[in-house]
Formats: sequence, structure tokens, C-alpha cells
Amino acid sequence: MNKMKDLRSRHSSEFTLLLIFVGLFVLMAVLSPDRFMTVNNIKTMAFQMPEFGLMALAMMIAVLTGGINLSITTGATLSTIVAAFILSSEFGKEHPLLCVLVGVVVCMLVAVASGIVNGTIVAYIGVAPMLVTLGTKTLFEGLGLNFTKGGSISGFPELYAEIGNGTLLGIPIPMIIYVIALVACYFLFERSVWGTEVYMIGCNETATRFSGINTKKVLLWVYIYSGILSGIAGILISSRYNSAKTDYGSSYVMQAVSAVVLGGTSISGGHGTVAGTIIAVAIIQVISTGLNILGVNRYIINIITGGILIAVLILRYATKVMDDKKKIKMRAAQGTTK
Amino acid sequence: MKMKKLVGLGLAAMMAFTAVVPAMAEEAAYKIVVMPKLIGIPYFTATGEGAEKAGEELGVEVIYNGPTTADAAEQVKMLEDYITQGVDAICVAPNDAAALDPVLKKAHEAGILVLDWDTEATKDLVDASVHQISDQGLAEHLVDAMVENMGTEEGDWAIITGGLSASNLNAWIGFARDYAAEKYPGLNLVADPYPTDEKQDVALSTAKDILKAYPDVKALFCVSTPAPIGAAQAIREMGLQDKVTVVGTAVKEDCQDVLSDGALDLGCLWNCQDLGYLTVGVAKALLDGATLEADGEITIEGVGTYAIEGEKNIILGPPEDYLAE
Amino acid sequence: MGERIKNFTKRKEFGIILIILVLSAILTVMSSAFLKLDNILDFLRSNAVIGIMALGMLPVLISGGIDLSVSSTIAFAAVIIGKFMLAFPNSNPLIVIIVAMVAGGLVGLVNGLIITRFKIPPIVATLGMQTIMLGCVLLYTGGMWISGLPGWWSRFGTFKLGSFPTDIGGTTGVSTQVIIFVFACLITSFILKYTLIGRGIYAVGGSESSAIRVGYNVNKIIVFIYVFSGLMTGLAAATHVSIVGQVDPNTYTGYELDVISTVVLGGASTLGGVGTVFGTILGVVLMAIVKNGLILAKVPTYWQKVAMGLVILIAVSVDIINRKREQAKLVRVDVEE
Repeated sequence: MNKMKDLRSRHSSEFTLLLIFVGLFVLMAVLSPDRFMTVNNIKTMAFQMPEFGLMALAMMIAVLTGGINLSITTGATLSTIVAAFILSSEFGKEHPLLCVLVGVVVCMLVAVASGIVNGTIVAYIGVAPMLVTLGTKTLFEGLGLNFTKGGSISGFPELYAEIGNGTLLGIPIPMIIYVIALVACYFLFERSVWGTEVYMIGCNETATRFSGINTKKVLLWVYIYSGILSGIAGILISSRYNSAKTDYGSSYVMQAVSAVVLGGTSISGGHGTVAGTIIAVAIIQVISTGLNILGVNRYIINIITGGILIAVLILRYATKVMDDKKKIKMRAAQGTTK
Repeated sequence: MKMKKLVGLGLAAMMAFTAVVPAMAEEAAYKIVVMPKLIGIPYFTATGEGAEKAGEELGVEVIYNGPTTADAAEQVKMLEDYITQGVDAICVAPNDAAALDPVLKKAHEAGILVLDWDTEATKDLVDASVHQISDQGLAEHLVDAMVENMGTEEGDWAIITGGLSASNLNAWIGFARDYAAEKYPGLNLVADPYPTDEKQDVALSTAKDILKAYPDVKALFCVSTPAPIGAAQAIREMGLQDKVTVVGTAVKEDCQDVLSDGALDLGCLWNCQDLGYLTVGVAKALLDGATLEADGEITIEGVGTYAIEGEKNIILGPPEDYLAE
Repeated sequence: MGERIKNFTKRKEFGIILIILVLSAILTVMSSAFLKLDNILDFLRSNAVIGIMALGMLPVLISGGIDLSVSSTIAFAAVIIGKFMLAFPNSNPLIVIIVAMVAGGLVGLVNGLIITRFKIPPIVATLGMQTIMLGCVLLYTGGMWISGLPGWWSRFGTFKLGSFPTDIGGTTGVSTQVIIFVFACLITSFILKYTLIGRGIYAVGGSESSAIRVGYNVNKIIVFIYVFSGLMTGLAAATHVSIVGQVDPNTYTGYELDVISTVVLGGASTLGGVGTVFGTILGVVLMAIVKNGLILAKVPTYWQKVAMGLVILIAVSVDIINRKREQAKLVRVDVEE
């Protein structure tokens, strides 16, 4: 019981989020019982959430260090565009399996390269991450435009479409990939030495450097990892939409920032949990799908999402103030008894 | 304890939010989703007005909703939600045809009638297409108008577009280039299309820069509605009304000012409301059991009879030209 | 004289000035139209809007904050003045500008209050405001343009001070928008350099807790910063509407990133504490030259975005490397002495 309490107090922010999520879920289920709470709808959401969730995680790792990665979507689309040339080639018609494998590998390689570009300039030259990734965002988009001349590349092997549209034992494959990525992120961020170093950089980069940690190397890997996660999201997107184009998913950048912050990650770095981010992603998904089913105008959905973002942060601030007051009272009480 | 109260308060606030949710009309015969590329721009607001008007007059429930940015990914998600919700027909103006293939297949499997409108989706996956005018027809009409206004079949021209990845604009540009190269060999396109981000002020500065870089340019060919207006303003500010021709797609009300002194030579667009109306009309007719005969005709309640081009294309009709009065 | 040049190269802005000079030299060789008075006045005019917003963003960044809501604020203010001019066709430009600034200032006030009262990080508060405001503006207008503005407004927008002949045959002059931009530069510069609150902004950005200890009312300063950003954004709205002559509520999406990158290019840090009006002007000029120059130099369209991204990356990297070298030199001098 005490353990439970301890867990709750340590993760109070995640618990609040979980409560909000459950509340919203119930609310949507009540508002459209015959449409929201159906197997079909839950499945649809399970197909939709992974690509956005992966983007949010890609954003989160950069934010943990006090940075930001605005190039996640164009980096992802650039990777898939390069891969698309292989996937849509004649080779793919003859050897679908091999071709998909090569395509995925190439996509990941480009994603890693995009991470290296970001990471090198951020870590080794020392330019502000926002500016670097703003520059690379434009750069990657420009390269993508050059390859496609603005159009889209399609005609992938059927097998490739399975990645984003298929199911395994009734569970959507994107969801499986998402869960694996989540677990990997959890262990990498919150249970590994490297993860601790990432959080330390977010708290105080100078102090971390002087404590003997090669912060540059850690930062480089942060952006590579961010690139990899967004690259996986890119594979899901291109597979679900059966094509590759420069502006797919362009609306995810700011949404990802919102999800990360809603999930309790401090925008100045150093704090945040994987659990918080995924619950926040689920909240945004439920709002979006639930209100969509009700036929609410997209702009009203945006306004509500923005409202919830600010409301949750106000709530968080209010609880913190109250907690502090309680602690002061308790200390005062302890002081008098002594 | 206080914490719980706060959470409760938050949930209450959310409840209040959802009070804005519109009540569902239950008595309507069919539920038809009309999805534009994005909402909140004049063109698609006008088509939406037409679609909703058709909904009222024809007694069907029209859901006119789309993403807030022209992103295919958002469209797919919304369509998936509508398929889950269970609607009778989906009419979509795709941001990208290929990206919508899987979701339109899903719609078919769910027994939903699928139409494309404004911009083409993959032809095999739609039951009917409603278009303002064929892409080729519009492109050729604009090129002809440009040459007519230039008064010569020779000279340099440049293309100004809304964005390099907008598929319908790219289609028009593609046809225009081919047609010009074939019919007017004297025309010389100076460069690839210039993007303007769908912004009038960018079109203005871009047009000026083009004319500085290529002083011999005699005509600017503009696609996307803010582009010709911005380009025309550049012409006006440089005092080149008589030397440089500007033609392009523009909304009638918005281009009156630049037409007045000949800065813009010709604006051209179809009746957006009618396009929205016709889309809903065709969807309802097909749901009622009408069939499309290749190269036949179809009569739509409230608007009239339309010819069917090919197997399933229903064309709204020629665009309206806006000239100086 | 030699001393002077040395001092100049030590200035923080030296890196960006160097880049501007090199780029200008290349562009002048590549296009005869680049280094002409009419071209310079033209690109200043078309970048005045971003420039004015950048001046509003500057104090925000100096304080260590950020304002992502500017793209929605400018849309809001533009719609307000559009509707205002249709309702009061006998008004005059000065009143319109004031209305725009008040509208923008109010949004800034809300931002400032959310940030100071609830201690919400500026990036989150302003991101939330951005979504909410844009949603409201587009729901209200349906994205429809507001056109048919009064004649005095378009005369105000196309007015030009002076008259210089151009190559193409017409004449050019210093346009209203450039005058407004210069005016905005002077005001911002004055506030940052010569007022108590201006010094307070740097103090807050340097270290908030020290600023409190020194006796600054930090909350008041932060509210002022966001109100100022709102006022400037309102002014930018009026400037933009005066260029295009109608209001398109959709045209402002993405402005926030343009504005922020311009200010940061000009030497301000997103971490706060540093930034000058002169640097910001250089940032505006660099962005303007790149946009204008890519077309004049006939860079193929599909490569323009690539070039743009590269220029940004190179510019900021050169700047940082330059600064690091200066610091290293200072350290060495310290050791040797």
C-alpha cells in the first residue's frame, strides 16, 4: 500500500494525465456510444497513433537536452523519398522481400545521416538547436523537392504496405512497432547510463561537461536517435499512404511539441518521462478521433487541444503551489512538536 | 483531496467544451462527407457553402470538414474516422492521390460510395468524379488567353505557382508547358515554376524579382488564387501594365481592383458554390440508384443535366473569365 | 585607423556582416540588377513586415522567452483592421495603425499574464495561444479575404518618399513600409538602450534571480515584453495590409519561425541575455538578400530551398565559430597576463 502511494506521489503528473485520458475517453464514449466504443474505431486509433507517437518521442529526446528538433518531419520524408526510389523500382517487382528490406535499411541510413547533420552542428559547432533544425528542415525539404519535383512517388510492393496496414494476431503492426520503440525508449532514457547523461545535459550542460562526460558525443547521439525514431515514423507514414512526398505529416511538428509538453517534459530540458509523452499522445488522439466522429470542425478541435494544453499546465502549477504549501505546513508542524 | 477536486474541475471544463458539439440531424436520408483539401481558405469555404446548401435543399446530411493544413496524412486520418463512424458517401478532394489509395480501398470495403471532386484521386477507386473542368482544359484556356493578351506568339514567359508540391497546380503547369511548347513554339519559358507559398505578398516580391532577373519576360502565368493578384500588384508598382501580361486563377471579388487598370489581364475561375453543390448532388443521385453511362448524361436535382465524360467524369462546365470592365 | 578596424572585427556582429558582404559580392557579379537602389528599396519593403515583427521578438528572446503566437496575432490584428476600415471608411491611416497595435497589444497582455501568473513556460503558453487564436480567426472569417478597403488606405500603402529613376523606366522611392520599419527600429533601440525597463530585460535574460535581487519587478518586465511584442506585431499587421491592400487571414502561417530565425541569425540567443537591434536589422537584411538574390541569380527553383537551408546553417555556424575563437583569444590573453 505504501509502495503504491510512493509510486503515486513520484508520478503524480502522469497520474493526473492518466485521469484526464480516462475522463476524456469515457466522455467520448458517452457522447457517441455506438461509434466511439467499437472495435473498429479502437483499431483505427491503434493504426493512427504510432506515427504521431514516434514523432513525439523523436521530439522528446531533443527537448530533454533543452533542445528542439524542428526537422523531424522533413527528415523523415526525405528518408522515405530516397527509399521510395528503391521501393518503386523494377527490382521491387521481382524480389519484393529483399527490396523492402533494402528500402527500410536505406531509409534508416538516411534518417541516421540527417541526425548526424543535426547532431554535429548542435554538438560540435554549438549552434542553438532551434536554429540548426530550422535550417535543416528547409534543407531536407529542398532536397526532397529536388528528388520528386514536388510530386509523390508511389507503386511500392504490396509487402511494404503490410508494415503500416497489416495486423499480427489481430494487433496492428504499427502498434507493435510503436510498443517496441516505447520499451526501447524507456530503457534507453530512464534506465541506461546514456539516458542519465541526457537528463544531466538538460539540467546543466556545463556542469555535466566538467563532471567528465563527453557531452558532445551524447548530444550527437541524441539527434541521431531522434532521426532514427522519426525515420521509423516515416516508414509507417509512407507505408500507410503507399507513397512518399515532401509534405506528408508536416502538421506533426508543432503537434509533437504540444504532446511532449503536455506529457510533462520540461521545455528547458532535464525532466520528463516516456510514460507522460505516450499518455499525452493518447489524449490528443482521443480528442481528435472523438470530436471528428462527432463532426466537429477541425479548427474547434485545434482550439480545444490548445485550451487543454494551457489548462493542464495551469493545473500542474496550481497543484505544485498547493504541494509546496502543504510541505511548509507539515514542516512547521514537525518543528513545533520537536 | 484538493488534487481530485481540481481534476474534477478540469473534466467539467472539458464537458463545457463539448457543449459546442453540434447536434446530429437524425432524419436525413443519407450522410455524405465532403472533404476539401483544407478548410479555412476562401476557395474551400465557398465550395463548402455550396455543399451545405445542397444538403439543405436535397434533404441529405452533409458533413463538410477537412484538415487545417493541406496535409494528406491528416486527410487519411479523418477519412478513417468517418469510415468508422459509418457514412453513406465520401467525396474527397485529395491532397495527394496516391496517399489516399489505402483509405479509399477501405471505404469501398465498408460499402461506402466514393467520389473525388476538385482534384483527381486514383481512378479505379472512385465511383464518380466531379470536376470543375478538366485540368488540361483549364491549362490550355489560360495559355490561349495569355497569348491573346500578349498580342504575339513569341517572347519569354514565367510561371508563378502556389507551392511546388501542390498536385493540382502541378497538373495545370504540366499541361500548360506541354501545350505551349507544342502550339506556340515561339514562347520561351525562362525557368521552372516559382513557388509563392500561397501568399500574395510573396507573389508580389517574386514577380518583381523575376522581372529584374529576366527583363524580357512578357507574360506571367499564375496558378493559385493569391498569385495573380500579387503579380499584378508588382506590375502596377513597376508601371508595366502595357508591357507585361498577367493571367491566372483568381477569385472574382478579390481581383476586381487589379483588373481595373489592366495590371491583371485576365482572371479565371469556376463557380465554387456550384462545384460543392454538384458534388453533393451527384453523390445523392448515385445513392438513389442512378447509374453512370459512359459518355451519357446525368440529371442532378436542383442544378440540371450534365454530360458524362469518359466513364465517370462529371464536368461542371467552362470556367468564368474575369476581365476589366 | 588600424585600431578601429580591429575593434570592428571584434564586434559580435562581424560574422554576419562578413557573410552579408560576401553574399552581396557574389550576387552583384551574378546579376546586374542586384546592387541597384530600386532593388534594395524593394527588398527592404517586402521584408519590412518580418523586420518589424523581429524587432518585437528581440526583447522576448533577450529575456530568455519566446513568442510563437505572433503568426496568429498578426492574422488577428489584420482581420480587426480590415473589418474596422470597412465599418469606418472615413477613418485615417494613423487610427488604423493604433487599432492594429491595440489589438496586438491585448493578445500580448494575455500572453504575459498567463506566463507570469501561472509560471507556464513561454513556448507552451504562446504555442497554445497560437492554435487557439488562429482557430478563432479562421472560424470567424472562414478564411475569406477582406477586400474593398478605402482608397486612402491604398494611397497610404503605395506612397513613396522621393523619386529616383529606375532601369526599367519607372521611378522608385522610400516607401511607407520602410519608413515604418526605420521608426520601429529607433523606438526598440531607444527602449533597450536608454530606459530602465530595457536594461531590466537584459537583466532578466542574464539571470532572473539576480534581476530580482537587484530590485527589478520581473513580472512587470515580462508582461511588458509580451505586450511590446504584441504591439509590434499589430504594427506589422497594418504594414502588411498596406502592402497587399486586402486581408487574407491565411497568409501568416509559418511567420513565427521566419521571425525567430531572423532574430537569432542577428546574434540573439534563444537562451536569453544577448541581442541588439543592429544585429536584428542585419538578420533581416541577410534573409532578404537570400530570398531576393536566389531569384535574381537565377538559381533553379528546386534548389532554392536547399540553398536557403545551407545559407542559414553556414551563417549561424560561422557566427558561432567566430565567437568561440574570440573567446579563446580572450582566455589566452588572461593566461599570458
